[in-house]
Amino acid sequence: MGGPLLKAEAIRAGYGPIEALKGLSLSVAPGEIVTLIGANGAGKSSTLLCISGIHPIRSGAIHFDGERIDKLPAHDIVKRGLVQVPEGRRIFPRLTVLENLQLGAYLRKDLDGIKNDFERVFALFPILAERRAQAGGTLSGGEQQMLAIGRAVMSKPRLLLMDEPSMGIAPVLTAKIFDTIRELNQQGLTILLVEQNAHLALQLAQRAYVLETGQIVLEGPAQELLADPRVRKSYLGEE
Amino acid sequence: MGARGGIWPAVYARMHWILLGLAALLPAVDLLLPPEFRLADLVRPIFIFAVLGMGLNIVTGFTGLLNLGVAAFMAIGAYTYAIATCDIYPFQLGFWTALPLTIAVGAAAGIILGLPTIRLKGDYLAIVTMGFGEMVQDSLKNLDVITKGTQGINPLPSPTLFGYVFKPETPLPWYYLFLALLAVVVLLTRNLERSRIGRTWASIREDELAATCMGINSMKAKLLAFAIGASFCSMAGGLWGAYLGSSGEPGNYDFQISIIALCIVIVGGMGSVSGVLLGAFVMIGFNAILLTKLTAFLAQHGWTSSDNVFTSPSNWKYMMFGLALILMMRFKPEGLLPSRRVKAELHEYDKDVPRQAGGATT
Repeated sequence: MGGPLLKAEAIRAGYGPIEALKGLSLSVAPGEIVTLIGANGAGKSSTLLCISGIHPIRSGAIHFDGERIDKLPAHDIVKRGLVQVPEGRRIFPRLTVLENLQLGAYLRKDLDGIKNDFERVFALFPILAERRAQAGGTLSGGEQQMLAIGRAVMSKPRLLLMDEPSMGIAPVLTAKIFDTIRELNQQGLTILLVEQNAHLALQLAQRAYVLETGQIVLEGPAQELLADPRVRKSYLGEE
Repeated sequence: MGARGGIWPAVYARMHWILLGLAALLPAVDLLLPPEFRLADLVRPIFIFAVLGMGLNIVTGFTGLLNLGVAAFMAIGAYTYAIATCDIYPFQLGFWTALPLTIAVGAAAGIILGLPTIRLKGDYLAIVTMGFGEMVQDSLKNLDVITKGTQGINPLPSPTLFGYVFKPETPLPWYYLFLALLAVVVLLTRNLERSRIGRTWASIREDELAATCMGINSMKAKLLAFAIGASFCSMAGGLWGAYLGSSGEPGNYDFQISIIALCIVIVGGMGSVSGVLLGAFVMIGFNAILLTKLTAFLAQHGWTSSDNVFTSPSNWKYMMFGLALILMMRFKPEGLLPSRRVKAELHEYDKDVPRQAGGATT
């Protein structure tokens, strides 16, 4: 294995006078699931927005597959295979399920590959096949999350950034979605997962970072962090 | 969504062709009516405003960018057409060369306005486009070396087609000329709507950030919408010039025209091609047909005279416009012939689709 697929070095970013990320560094190796956990406002979503080029960084550097990407516009980063499933799903509510998925494949020209990926998404989430002609907004929260993941898969990502896939979703469906994330990873997809549900995320991921007020305070194999007393106290709700 | 069977969904999906077909039959129906009830002559401006509405619909209906300056593009079209054809200028092009030129100049104007402003969101963009409208109008007024100021450029030569000359005194050929050009615009718009770029515009309208996450270059897509929308509006201006035989004067292309275009799109149904056709018919028809006929009818019976402020229907025009809009927004905000997508937005998504049990709340 070569170098890391994604490498962020000492990135700083903010909103006006507020500094959200204070020199954060992280890396994701090919084939890994890495999770980023932390409290509300720690900077988890900001990290993902910076990596995918939607929010600019003030200093530091981000490399994807050896290429520096932090100066590229967001749509060019997607072209390189770094795709984000945004927080709150953000499917297109008035477009049909099928149109949502077609937009996922927006940048692709390989018709056969697109057709295969439709099959793949429908195999992962049979409910989407059933509802392909329905407007995305008519789906339940969990189904919308499935659609958001399916839409991202349609863009043939090499690295998938996922922001809070469990947000606002019934526990039964959360479990189903986490199973799917594992399945996608086993099919070879590298994943960087941001989660508030630290317990679920740490069980799924191989490695984890703990983020506090814009800085990484702890990192290591997920299993170790799951056992770490500091993590158990702050994020898993133990005394 | 249309799954309730019957032929209605299929009919509804082709409503724009049905409306155009009815318009094509109108002159025949007119022959059966006494002269004072004939409509075909009065319908011609409706076709031109429908083209204007199509242009605005691409920007506002499909892409979700509020544009309050389409009158400017119409003016640019009318003046481009006038300068290209009028015999006081050296170009003296024919209708069929001048019209594509008008469309191209409109697209260029759209890009010139779009490039510096397309990053603005919502209301800010609307205000800039409104300013552009005023700017163009004043420029035309003051650049009188070129535009003849408030006189306008005239007379313009009649269009010809394969040797046939469209004369002002024979309205019927004009009717079918404008109808045919409108049909071409409708065909183009429908194809755009259903193509990849149409889906791209819809995605930007719905959620620009999510669209960016799909790799869509939203600036480029918005600029394209601006350019295509402006080219249709400019075409409407060119047709207007040909219809009047004059560029009109700059004051003809004031803010009111932009608002009427917006009303056409809103009353018809944002993002709906058939809606824009019906909207143009209702808005312009009300003004150009109903009020004209009503005034003539009342005058004939001695119930009104043009100097009586209270009994002349034209004086009530804006009052009735306003009332109609209020009623519309209250009872049918999605428009008369809404697009499937917008209808879904304004009425509960899940009314006709039972939500799966066990789905979580959001």
